[in-house]
Amino acid sequence: MGPLAPYEIISENTNFLLAFFIGIAFGWVLESSGFSSSRKLAGIFYGYDTVVLKVFFTGAITAMLGLLFMSLFGWVDLDLVYVNPTYLTSAIIGGVVMGAGFIMGGFCPGTSFCGAAIGKIDAMVFIGGLFIGVYGFAFTYPWWEKMYMAKYLGEPKVSEKLGMSDGLFGLFLIIAALCMFIVAEWAEKKWPREEY
Amino acid sequence: MKPIKLLALFVIPLGIIIAAVPPDRVKHFRLTADELLQEAGAGVQFVSPDVVADMLVQKDPSLRLIDVRTPEEYDAYSMPGAINIPLSSLLSDEYTDILNQEAYMNVFYSNGSVYANQAWMITRQLGYENNYVLEGGLNYWFGNILSPEVPSQTNPNEEFAKYDFRKSAAAALGGGSIVATEGDAPSVKAVKPPVTAKSKKKPAGGC
Repeated sequence: MGPLAPYEIISENTNFLLAFFIGIAFGWVLESSGFSSSRKLAGIFYGYDTVVLKVFFTGAITAMLGLLFMSLFGWVDLDLVYVNPTYLTSAIIGGVVMGAGFIMGGFCPGTSFCGAAIGKIDAMVFIGGLFIGVYGFAFTYPWWEKMYMAKYLGEPKVSEKLGMSDGLFGLFLIIAALCMFIVAEWAEKKWPREEY
Repeated sequence: MKPIKLLALFVIPLGIIIAAVPPDRVKHFRLTADELLQEAGAGVQFVSPDVVADMLVQKDPSLRLIDVRTPEEYDAYSMPGAINIPLSSLLSDEYTDILNQEAYMNVFYSNGSVYANQAWMITRQLGYENNYVLEGGLNYWFGNILSPEVPSQTNPNEEFAKYDFRKSAAAALGGGSIVATEGDAPSVKAVKPPVTAKSKKKPAGGC
């Protein structure tokens, strides 16, 4: 919880309790938006249902605009916001593994728990696979370590790499997102599929 | 109205506004000279050698010792498990992920504390956290931890406790040899020095 836990305004336990409630709320929203259905999730790869793309890109541009405006008003120092460090090789390989798992399993990690919570057996099997993967990686970590840590890039931003301001890149991303939404809605009409 | 049009109606004007304002309106995190002076004056960067010795004996995985002396000096002697980042190449890109991180407690050391302190000041100025300085440097480490002096009989019990701890730490870390405290001084169990460093957890995200 943002600055509250590190500065010990709230205790670690309160932090966990808040995380618990936020987690339940998040799961509830996911479930009620239909994200516990693997057909809906996999739809993005076949074009008949692109709600995943729309939801996550809307979330991303909303958060981006929020952060940029808060930074503009001096409420947030973007330098202090945690950015996952980039290890290029493992990011690419991890992305491919995650994507393949997403297509085959029809869930991403969060939604699989959501599906399991409402009793979907495929989601439970997916969670089983998830744990096999996690433990498999952990126990064979020395084999992967070199590849895992390769091509460390620090915490780069696309806007920095392109030499433009964060705001300008934000505008381009918004336009790109809207274009994607239009293409997505076109795809939904082109490859329709009945919900069942 | 279609939701996509409604969304576009909101986000495109906001995007244009944010693209139009000059970037970097926010004061970025850098310590001012005043703040740095205050931190340095309070000595928050120092870690007592007893704490480091205890962490080494306990094999605490969060401790990372960083030798800021030259590679030659590092090859001649280094503390157990220490890595070498010569002060002159402190700002090199390959070390950024070592110095700017939240998982480890980095402890700089040099022969005295001057070079280690310089390394700390530079990294602190860059806004890096979790970097510390071994108080007294290697000289104090050798003279007091690896070969501690027997306190005189009139000293308080704490001194003997400290001596016993250092003696056993030295034995574990490969310096000196175990000799029981001489005389009929009250025997006190080695007390664990308080560990003050906090390890922060990384925030993690994902869907």
